Amino acid sequence: MPQAEDMINLGFLSESEQELILEVLRRDEELRLAEEQRVRKLKTELLDVRRKGAKRGSGRYSQRSCGRCQEPLSRLTVFSSQCKMCNHLVCRNCRTVLPKGSWLCSVCAKESDLKKRTGDWFFDQRVNRFSTMPGHDLVRVSLKKRPPPKKRETTGELLLRSTEINPDLPTPIPRTRQKNQTTDKGQSTQNSGSIGSRESFESREDIWSKPIRSDTESAENASIISSKTETESGRATPEQPRKENRSVQSSPTGSSVSSVTVPVKADIVNIDSTNAKANTAPDVKANSPSPDLDVDRLFKKSIKRDPRPSAEYVSTLDLRDGCDTSEVSMGNRSRSVPGLDIQEDGEEEEDIDSLVSFHKRTMASSSSSLHSSKSTLGSLMSIYSEGGDFDSVEVSGDVVFSMSYDEHTQSLQVFIKECHELACGDSSRQLSNPYVKCYLLPDKSRQSKRKTSIKRNTVNPVYQETLKYSISRSQLATRSMLISVWHHGRLSRNAFLGEVEIPLDCQDLDSTDMDRVALMAKAASAMPASAFAQYKGELVISLKYITPKKPTTEKIKGKKAVTGEGGELHILIKEAKNLVAVKPGGTSDSFVKGYLFPAKAKNTKKKTPVVKKNLNPHYDHTFVYKDLALEQLKGMCLELTVWDREALLSNEFLGGVRLSSGRETVKIGKEEVQMDSVGEESSLWEKMMQYPDSWAEGTLPLRSTMAKATVK
Amino acid sequence: MTDGDYDYLIKLLALGDSGVGKTTFLYRYTDNKFNPKFITTVGIDFREKRVVYTASNPNGTTTGKTFKVHLQLWDTAGQERFRSLTTAFFRDAMGFLLMFDLTSQQSFLNVRNWMSQLQANAYCENPDIVLVGNKADLADQREVQEKQAKELADKYGIPYFETSAATGAEVDKAVITLLDLVMKRMEQCVDKPPAEPANGNGATKLAEEQPNEKKCAC
Repeated sequence: MPQAEDMINLGFLSESEQELILEVLRRDEELRLAEEQRVRKLKTELLDVRRKGAKRGSGRYSQRSCGRCQEPLSRLTVFSSQCKMCNHLVCRNCRTVLPKGSWLCSVCAKESDLKKRTGDWFFDQRVNRFSTMPGHDLVRVSLKKRPPPKKRETTGELLLRSTEINPDLPTPIPRTRQKNQTTDKGQSTQNSGSIGSRESFESREDIWSKPIRSDTESAENASIISSKTETESGRATPEQPRKENRSVQSSPTGSSVSSVTVPVKADIVNIDSTNAKANTAPDVKANSPSPDLDVDRLFKKSIKRDPRPSAEYVSTLDLRDGCDTSEVSMGNRSRSVPGLDIQEDGEEEEDIDSLVSFHKRTMASSSSSLHSSKSTLGSLMSIYSEGGDFDSVEVSGDVVFSMSYDEHTQSLQVFIKECHELACGDSSRQLSNPYVKCYLLPDKSRQSKRKTSIKRNTVNPVYQETLKYSISRSQLATRSMLISVWHHGRLSRNAFLGEVEIPLDCQDLDSTDMDRVALMAKAASAMPASAFAQYKGELVISLKYITPKKPTTEKIKGKKAVTGEGGELHILIKEAKNLVAVKPGGTSDSFVKGYLFPAKAKNTKKKTPVVKKNLNPHYDHTFVYKDLALEQLKGMCLELTVWDREALLSNEFLGGVRLSSGRETVKIGKEEVQMDSVGEESSLWEKMMQYPDSWAEGTLPLRSTMAKATVK
Repeated sequence: MTDGDYDYLIKLLALGDSGVGKTTFLYRYTDNKFNPKFITTVGIDFREKRVVYTASNPNGTTTGKTFKVHLQLWDTAGQERFRSLTTAFFRDAMGFLLMFDLTSQQSFLNVRNWMSQLQANAYCENPDIVLVGNKADLADQREVQEKQAKELADKYGIPYFETSAATGAEVDKAVITLLDLVMKRMEQCVDKPPAEPANGNGATKLAEEQPNEKKCAC
């Protein structure tokens, strides 16, 4: 690369010339912003396609199932059904035939299409060329958490920005920024795994965070900073405090942009590439530019609601790498059922890049998951705590706190003052490192979790900390505050030191008077009851066991199991009633997910389509589980969970039911789980078994948590 | 104008000596008008045009698929004093209209320099370029013969057109040819991983072994 032109010195231009160029750059910016929006929209589409049933990085799947829809593949097709791009085996329905007659799986097809439409083909190539440049993120950045790929940055963009910041300074062009470059190695793959990329990303952030405006290099820094804060922070990292960037950005340029007359005409010319003959076609009227405010909102929302630092898109399940394939279903499930896992449905949260990278990886390597190293310790602990897997001690002492509602900030403020005479979490050393954790029930997800700091070696910790929940006052009436105290075991498990639950409907939220409440033990035995304490609506389903068509009772040796297990369990998910509204506007976009335990070798996960904006959705969808003998059902358990679908975010748990005979223990993965089906849940299951080949219909109340008691 | 209602945003850039007619060429292309006055371009400028592109198969038959393409046509100043500015914009363009003046031998000689500028500053070492000899209507002042120019273009392996912004001759064709090259490259870039199935494996290997100039490294 020629180094001669490290700088564009705009100083040689007259003022009017600079003005002219700026005007051009602003027009360019306008086009660029429209393009950015378009690209974002396209990528959201891709994300959607990807998500539909695709195999995920952290799950393990049968070799003989479609990499897309996970339907089993017949033996014959296995050999000819590998997608050439990603090497996944794909069924016929999940293929897209290309013009040339070849085919790709639907994800790869969409992806290549998108590469063209977004111009990424170009930027990718440019990255290869100027790989030493920072800014060109060598690894694709995720849509939702990071600035848009720097590789898309154009000279015009850079120039405009730096000129606006300090018009007198020479304007650097991109390649000067090599100086700032510290960690980017020239690896140009987009698939190289997210952790490495994040490191380099973070180190760049360090650079960004030190703006000094004295020399040219700092102008450069400044321009990079502005690039982050102005145009891009709509997709900024979660670690970055969000600023009112959009408005900042438009204010300096806005007026002049609108006054510029654009010497452009939008003729539509019909180009036939083969004979290159141009004939004028009727004008295509441009649609008014209103497209994807929604998308925008989504991204912002995702930032606000994802409190985790960026490097944690690693499913906690990956820690169990050692388990064998028969536990596949366990992996899937525990990620998706709340109460066991606070990262509800973590799979839905994987960012686009890790999806890509997994998707790209060959099936062969899928057994040794590449995601592994970092895990969310915090969440893991929570998982244990929810699952009842924690060290418990004799509860003692009390907690002093106040709760008040701040109309000004529309937030509930929980002031944790102190605790007295707590139990010792570490009994061997007779000490406690206590902290206080709050959930605004019924939401037991991580979004509702707040923690104080940890006080070392004391049973009388003083916190004086305020935990805040942004929520409208009217919503508080139906909620309650769960305040629990935990011993933080640095190397060992956290120990539960006691909790109190304060229903908010009878709490005076206008005074800041302190409450002193004695801590209580967990109501472990009352688990099923508490699961129904909160009204979450109902689920209307119908069950039918279809006996095998052939007379199977006569077991012919030699033909063995095939005939004996031909029965099918049909589960008709009719509708849900009175679901909880979790989306703005008082609605939910819900779907039902089903698992059958103990799972047979293949995945038993089923999903209904999403019914949008309806708290009383009709699904009318049937799950079918095949090859089941009636006998087996007695020891089985069907879990149906209702979720609010949240694009790009974790789906929100709305409630669930657990159907079983209610007495057995069922082996779910490694754990023996005591079935806690109650009332209708078990009677419906019994009815289904009692009257095969006829529908057993029932209306089941939804549980607010699927936590269950493990039998060791 | 700048709504997102298009399938592809393709950025092309016109370069060449000062006064060869880059601005009038683009003005003719986007507005189908001719402005005989010479107003020197200050640094950079761009124009836009929406076109419908019909995709074609490698064998020339159309697939019938049409796409809305939004063209951003960058106009650069030919003057030396803007050089550092204009070359910085090369990296953002997907295809180039390298122009010279058929009535100026010097502008033709400078094509070589522009080529090396492109090679150094464009997004890749062999970007899509169309060589354009402008002012073809001024036949009596012609200094560059078609044969000469054609030879040079062949040497670089790029198409050559003699255009006239004044009459509009070949203007559209030059741009569209370039667009077609860019679109084809795009297909190649993206579709390279899955080999042509019709050819079978052997044929694919052959194709890869060929020193394919146009094939990109991605």
